[in-house]
Amino acid sequence: MEYAIRTENLAKTFGKTFKALDGVSLNIKRGEVVGYVGPNGAGKTTTIKILTGLIRPTSGHAYVNSIDVAARPRDALRTIGALIEVPGVYDYLTPHEILTYFGRVYGMRRDLIDRRIEETLELVRLPDWEHKKTGTFSTGMLRRLAIAKAILHKPDILILDEPVLGLDPKGILEVRELLRQFRSEGMTVFLSSHLLSEVAEVCDSVIFLDKGKVISSDSIESIGQRMDHGVVAVRFLRPLSPQDTERLRSIDLIKSIDVKNSTVRLHYDGKPESSVKILRLLVSLNLDVVSFANEGVGLEDYYVSVMSDEKGVN
Amino acid sequence: MATNVQSIGAGVSETWLSFRFELLKHLKRRRLFIVAGLAIVIPLLFYIYYYKEHPTAADNFASTSLALMNILVLISAAMFAGDAICGEFEKKTSLLLFSTPQKRSSIFAGKFVAALMATFLVVSLYYLVLTLQIGQLFGWGNVPAELGKSFAAALIYSTAAVSIVFFVSSILKRSMSATIVGLLALLMILPIIVMIITLLNHEPWYIVTYSAGLITSVLGGSSGFGPGQHGNVMRQFTPTFAKGIAVMAAYAVVALAAGMAIAVRKED
Repeated sequence: MEYAIRTENLAKTFGKTFKALDGVSLNIKRGEVVGYVGPNGAGKTTTIKILTGLIRPTSGHAYVNSIDVAARPRDALRTIGALIEVPGVYDYLTPHEILTYFGRVYGMRRDLIDRRIEETLELVRLPDWEHKKTGTFSTGMLRRLAIAKAILHKPDILILDEPVLGLDPKGILEVRELLRQFRSEGMTVFLSSHLLSEVAEVCDSVIFLDKGKVISSDSIESIGQRMDHGVVAVRFLRPLSPQDTERLRSIDLIKSIDVKNSTVRLHYDGKPESSVKILRLLVSLNLDVVSFANEGVGLEDYYVSVMSDEKGVN
Repeated sequence: MATNVQSIGAGVSETWLSFRFELLKHLKRRRLFIVAGLAIVIPLLFYIYYYKEHPTAADNFASTSLALMNILVLISAAMFAGDAICGEFEKKTSLLLFSTPQKRSSIFAGKFVAALMATFLVVSLYYLVLTLQIGQLFGWGNVPAELGKSFAAALIYSTAAVSIVFFVSSILKRSMSATIVGLLALLMILPIIVMIITLLNHEPWYIVTYSAGLITSVLGGSSGFGPGQHGNVMRQFTPTFAKGIAVMAAYAVVALAAGMAIAVRKED
């Protein structure tokens, strides 16, 4: 299978001893939106810098669209759009001037550059700032301009390193919305972030990295299933009467219940079939069910569990 | 073979793009206007404050007016090349610039050529104003032929100065440090070394700032050190044209090559 992004035993050592990456192998399929998660210093940015040709690996290989980045950076980087850390911008230039230069770097024609500048600035909500010097821009606006630069040439692959770092809640929502849009357009997105809620919201799968090594990777869906701990939260139209509560307790599949106002947490064996049966029984008992949701453990809990396992191993 | 030709073609195209972008940056930061302004004002000030008080011959007027050319070249080199490499890393614009499909060597070559062209423009303006002044004051027939040799020496020295500052920019982390160290090296450290070697009665022909003395010495002006004020006789050296040009060219080539080699390997 041809992967959009692939790394083979990627290693990077800074100085003589500090191993920032230690044999990282990744396989990211086309059209996938993958979260790259880990604590500060785990090696996320180092991986991204190698993938975007900013630094060279000590050993191993990084491929983009099957092209070795270190061997053929020009060809490999042509199909990538990247936002890395908090890039600086030339504060005496305007977005139009900056984007025009990068458009030319990607070999775009003048008329196409002008059209794409309009489209991308519209997308990142900076259309009125096209001819204003970036020195007057806020952090959020600079970040959005950097995203505009990353997508100017309509790349197949978007590599984003902490794209919401330093943004206010509105800015975070805007970037998240953009990511959803990129996903719907079929773009491959490799997203490094320490915000697990963001990863859970927009990614198909997640790779956990710690101390330069991949310690776990899976789809968001299967992590959710794996972490299902057998609790379903049911909200009823009105608080249950003592009789209704007793009727619930009498259901064999339910081990115990916690009642709080009109919401009841039902403990069961965690099997999906049991969940279906319980819902059917509740409806057959004429209880007015407003919502019925499995209480899975969040990505944060999974993150803590895999990081703890890793520490245990070490 | 065809791949090599394509690669060279792509490199030239990238260098041209980088050169144009750098020029745009110099213009937008108004640095080019400021230094070009100095190149016009300084010779005019020489005329107003020197020639009117001490009328002299054309070649003497030219060599006196060019006394500050050395400093103008250094200011220009420091302004245009000081932050050419380290500035991108210091301000993190490297993250935008180097993650694109172009060779770093092409980007830096474009930056070097832009700094060089900006400095050439400044030097040319200075000589243009000076030539116009000489033509007006002494008649066009009295414009010294050696002014052309002086101009050639100034251009070669500009190339060496830009290369040296470019090299300093590749080894330091901060633009301000690179600018100051580049200026100090060419304005103070190397001239002090020249003075010490001269005091030891040796010709410092291998020092680039000594060779830069050609800018005025070809017109008959002083380029080195003469008899001391207190009667102690110090031998005066004057660089020969061919050797001076060769030394400046050598500094330019070596500093540029070393700067490029370091710059392309530099990592965040």
